[in-house]
Amino acid sequence: MIFMSDKAAFEKLEMLGKNMLAQVKNDKSPTFETPLRSKSNVQFEEGLGYLRLGAKKEERTFLNVGQARTFMQTVSVANKTKKFVKEGLHTSIRGLYYQLKFSLGEDVDESLFEEQSESNVLVEDLEVALGVKREDLHLTTDRKGVVAGAMVVKDNFAGEETTIDCAKQGRSGWMIPSDVDNGMEFVEVEADYVLVVEKDALWQRLNEDRFWKKENCILVTPKGQASRGTRRLLRKLADHKLPIYVMTDCDAWGWYIYWTIKTGSMNLAYLGRDFSIPESRFLGVTMADIEKYDFLKKLTINAKQVDLKRAEEMLGYPWINRHKEWVEELKKVLKTKKKIEQDALQGERLTFVGEYVREKISKKQWLP
Amino acid sequence: MGDGIFSKFKEYSVAEFFKKNRQMLGFSGKVRSLTTIVHEYVTNSLDACGEAGIYPEIEVWVGEEGEDRYKVKVRDNGPGIPKTHIGKALGMMLAGTKFNRYAQQRGQQGIGATGCTMYALITTGKPIRVASSHEGKRIECEIGMDFKNNKPVITPISEGDAEAGKSGLEIEGVFGDVRHEKSAYGVYEYLRRTAIANPHAAIAYNSPDGERFVFPKSVDVLPEKPMEVKPHPLGISAHDLIEKARGSQNQRISAFLQEEFTRVSLNKVKELQEMVPEVDLGKKPSDMSWEDAERIVGGFGKVKWIAPATDSVVPIGTAQVEKSLNSIIGPEYIFVTSRSPKIYRGGIPFMVEAALAYNGKGANGEILRFANRAPLLFDAGGCSITQAIKGIDWKRYGVKNLEEEPLSIFVHFASVHVPYTSAGKQSISDEEEVVDEIKNAVMEAARGLYRHLSGKRREKETAGKRAAILRYVGQLSQDMSELGGVGSEGAKVKERLLKMVEERYSAGGAEEEEKEEAPEAEAEKGKGEKGGAKGGKKGEAGDGGKKADEAAEEEKEE
Repeated sequence: MIFMSDKAAFEKLEMLGKNMLAQVKNDKSPTFETPLRSKSNVQFEEGLGYLRLGAKKEERTFLNVGQARTFMQTVSVANKTKKFVKEGLHTSIRGLYYQLKFSLGEDVDESLFEEQSESNVLVEDLEVALGVKREDLHLTTDRKGVVAGAMVVKDNFAGEETTIDCAKQGRSGWMIPSDVDNGMEFVEVEADYVLVVEKDALWQRLNEDRFWKKENCILVTPKGQASRGTRRLLRKLADHKLPIYVMTDCDAWGWYIYWTIKTGSMNLAYLGRDFSIPESRFLGVTMADIEKYDFLKKLTINAKQVDLKRAEEMLGYPWINRHKEWVEELKKVLKTKKKIEQDALQGERLTFVGEYVREKISKKQWLP
Repeated sequence: MGDGIFSKFKEYSVAEFFKKNRQMLGFSGKVRSLTTIVHEYVTNSLDACGEAGIYPEIEVWVGEEGEDRYKVKVRDNGPGIPKTHIGKALGMMLAGTKFNRYAQQRGQQGIGATGCTMYALITTGKPIRVASSHEGKRIECEIGMDFKNNKPVITPISEGDAEAGKSGLEIEGVFGDVRHEKSAYGVYEYLRRTAIANPHAAIAYNSPDGERFVFPKSVDVLPEKPMEVKPHPLGISAHDLIEKARGSQNQRISAFLQEEFTRVSLNKVKELQEMVPEVDLGKKPSDMSWEDAERIVGGFGKVKWIAPATDSVVPIGTAQVEKSLNSIIGPEYIFVTSRSPKIYRGGIPFMVEAALAYNGKGANGEILRFANRAPLLFDAGGCSITQAIKGIDWKRYGVKNLEEEPLSIFVHFASVHVPYTSAGKQSISDEEEVVDEIKNAVMEAARGLYRHLSGKRREKETAGKRAAILRYVGQLSQDMSELGGVGSEGAKVKERLLKMVEERYSAGGAEEEEKEEAPEAEAEKGKGEKGGAKGGKKGEAGDGGKKADEAAEEEKEE
């Protein structure tokens, strides 16, 4: 069964091949063009609110001896993923690598791929060159991130259709799959907002409180940095007009998890809008909270050198330092050299976290 | 009785002198002595043919006659020697025709063919056997020497008519205290190099091992006969000056200088007189004292002279050197320089011809040194040619290790006066201008080699690239046609891609690459040749050699 997005990816791959064949027919070296993914080509546009690649392109051509092997490999990856799509089968980028790791000939002491790192980058090249996601190419990623809340999903998978009610997943929640686009239908999204908490421990705490039920929200934890699947899910929920609120530790690393969700990251800028949620809001924990809640003052820990360095770097990012609130927060970190974990919110009583969130949302005490 | 002893002493003294000074005369070491003997005879043959305008055909035999004892026979097709001269030529000291002549000539070892006769007599007691066909007459005889009176001792063997239309000389001697060796100092190597520098000659060598080596004539051009030229004031030593003065018939030194030297006019003599007021230039040349001579030579150095004409220098010729090296070394690549004559010591014209023969039959990194067409086999370490070559940064020319590269380096030094380091005449002294010019000449040839080597390297690289890309064509064609939805066209796509790769990476194909420029010769750049007269050298740095030539040109027109 080929889904809509599958069809688009399939056609894009085939067009890539047809264009190359046309070049060969005209006695031209077949070429592959892809936007340059280096940091120098990463741009932030205020109007868009997320990081994306600029206009710089990289061209790979077969008749250039330095590019011939990579060119061949690129076409191999494209052709292989086209097969996956056609067959309706999925694998990981590691599975893809093993599919392509074979000798180029009996008399040639060279394999099509020697290292997985070679094929990994080519997958990214194809994503950005064709404007498709690796999930569209039937390449899965490790799952990370859990959901609970008023959301019903129809999962069309392996020839079977399963309806998943995220409100009925008990203590474990629904684990966010690597692909939430293909064969995935959001039947009902009845919540008022989405709450993202950095840590699984806090998610479990709030889940036990049935916080999502009481608040009619969708409770998500990315378990650290958000996976591709989690980011896609949040994007889709934001597209359903749900406000996205994020809670992380009060340090530069935690905050950067928020910023990756919001604007994307430098390394993955090629993913662009599909993987960023500029609308998301930051609830906490903030340095201001430490001053506001007396009990937190005693629960701070000393910031490490790496925390301070990261904070300084973040102050330099234009998509962050354009918000004076964040500049203030980051400067406080540098000044006090303190940080605090989101778990500390349970310091006084376990149910405080819920109160904290409710208060922040009702009083609109969030950071952009 | 006493007289007898005395006369005996006198008789042996020449031989004793010779024995003691063997080294100086080229008879040092058994191997070298044998090579020297062959050299003397072959040189005489080449010169005799040259004078007579005959393409030399020379055959050499060396045969073992016992422990350190060899028979040497040399036969040529030269004009032969008339009966009246044969004794003088082979059995009398200082009877050479070249003595006191100022012209470009082969370096003679010691005292020439007579030295060989003497060496045979001393080491084996046997006279030389000679057969000469000259102007229809043939004479065969043995020649010994009366040391006491410096006179040849001729024992006739036969006399009669020569074979119709044939002339030539055949000398045969048995020599002791010599040894045949297959080395860079041996007879074979000497003859090979002689053949290289004399492509107009055909030389054959029959070795003691019974092998016959033939170096055929490779050009149909006879060498230009060297011109006799007057020396330039800046190219003479006090010793030579006094020698010349003693032989002069002039009444005054002033007239003698004008007559015997080039570029010396009446005005210049007046200038010279101002420089050396203490010397009376009006007195007889034969009365010139050693002091006078030294002062005059000193004065020569202070006067501004027009550089000497450089047309007394006779090169082998670019085309001749190339043909010769192709014939004898048979290299894959050859580069021969073509340079103009230069001047050293302010007054002696010379010219350097250099060539590099790559990947031929020569020994790796061999340096073939020549002075006036004569090979220099010995004293390589002290020779300017060797030093100049070793002083080159060969890596810049794509040569990693000179000794291991299949490279023959040919350097010919041509001049009326070769600045030999010693009487052995086997190496050239380190005159600054000479070393510079040799270096520049070899570097010029090396730039040609560099272009050749980098061309080869490029070709190899291109082939490597072609192979690298060709490896990927099969897989790519299959994937690309499948990706384009026309998997059945794989073979067609492959064919097209193969053709494209072949075209792009063929030798001299469309692949554009940066042209690699051969490294510049830093010594040559800006430094200029140190030619021209000494006076001109001070004020005018730069292209001195060219100026000298122009000056010579002006002089001619006057």
